[in-house]
Amino acid sequence: MSENTPKDVEITTCSQCGGEVRLNSKFCNYCGSRLSANSDDFGKSWTRLKEAALFYGIDIVACCLASFVGIFKTLGWSLFFDILMAISAILFFAYNWSENKHLLKWKSFSFLKLSGYAAIAICCSVIVHYSVGWLNVVIFNKDENYFELLRGNLAAEVFLIFFTAVMPALFEELGYRGYLLQNLLRIADKDQAIYITSFLFAIIHMSFISLFWLIPFALFLGYTRVKENTLWYGIFIHFFFNLTACVFQILAAH
Amino acid sequence: MEELYPVAGPAIEKCASCNTSVSNSDVYCGDCGYPLKGNEQEQQNFLYKRDVADIDMAHFNKQLKNAANSLYYLAGVFVLTGIIFYFIKNDDPDAFVILLENLVLAFVFLALGGYARKKPLACIVSGLCLYAIVIILNVITNPATLFYGILVKIAIIGYLIKGIKSAIEIERLKKEYHLN
Repeated sequence: MSENTPKDVEITTCSQCGGEVRLNSKFCNYCGSRLSANSDDFGKSWTRLKEAALFYGIDIVACCLASFVGIFKTLGWSLFFDILMAISAILFFAYNWSENKHLLKWKSFSFLKLSGYAAIAICCSVIVHYSVGWLNVVIFNKDENYFELLRGNLAAEVFLIFFTAVMPALFEELGYRGYLLQNLLRIADKDQAIYITSFLFAIIHMSFISLFWLIPFALFLGYTRVKENTLWYGIFIHFFFNLTACVFQILAAH
Repeated sequence: MEELYPVAGPAIEKCASCNTSVSNSDVYCGDCGYPLKGNEQEQQNFLYKRDVADIDMAHFNKQLKNAANSLYYLAGVFVLTGIIFYFIKNDDPDAFVILLENLVLAFVFLALGGYARKKPLACIVSGLCLYAIVIILNVITNPATLFYGILVKIAIIGYLIKGIKSAIEIERLKKEYHLN
């Protein structure tokens, strides 16, 4: 009787028996097999979650040590922890390579869209800079560390931009919006996965005041990543956001 | 639901398991997988399995409630320690900042506990991670704090981890049996 089905019903085919089923069905009407792709059992989901916990645990310990233990507050140690977190992000991303590789493609590339996102990022950064002002902590504290340590070095500004704009943009996006979000999307629905990633991303910055703008910023990055299905827009948004913060920092130092 | 699935065929009936409208040509319900054309044995088996899932669900919901209560408890602890610290170390210039930080933390835990019913996995995972960071930061400032009320800490972390497991199970059961 399927030939009588009105045209306005969206139809898809069951992968098991090839029968025509309505698009929103959860089970095939003919053979009863499950249609949703997200069908990991409990054991798999739990393993995924433990894996994510290991990734996040490494980041927590590295961040806590780098920001709160006196002996690690040197340029060398800061670089060490940054590189450690970058390597951890790359390794976890590569571990689930088959699931994650599509995120590195940039099929929907549009120069106009990229400029739009960059403009939003710069505006947000300016608003955050002025509204939160001197209270605005983490990124700036870290910048200051680098800047103080690098004062007198000719390449200080290039260094500053590289370690506060380029590195975090690349590796935080790879780790959080790449590995972690993709992993959680297999366990929970889209909204919950994005909320968890954003909250974890915000609290790892270890600053109370920053929470208020970091969570919305992370949510924006998360939804952009899911909507565009690529990491690259997020990386550029993050880069322009941090770059603007850097420019303020350099201007203030001169 | 009829407007969403305008199905052809003269008769539209309701699924005996989940009450969704199904076309009389369907062999299985598209929403819950109930064998509409199966024999009595198959249908009984399906309903039996669904009822077992319902009982499991009640158990998982209880664990979820424990986890949410742990988050409320943490909120209370942070308010209390913040206020006590503020009155004991009144002369400490940082006292007000510490009080404020404790109140912000308490508020976050309160909000997470409140939304734990709606978004269980998101709230409990966030709560556990935040609690872990607070413990680690306290240990860095003063290693002895790790042992303050260590049994309570272990109990809370245990409840939260059980809550996360239950949240995953609930997501799975909801998808599988169309339960609420």
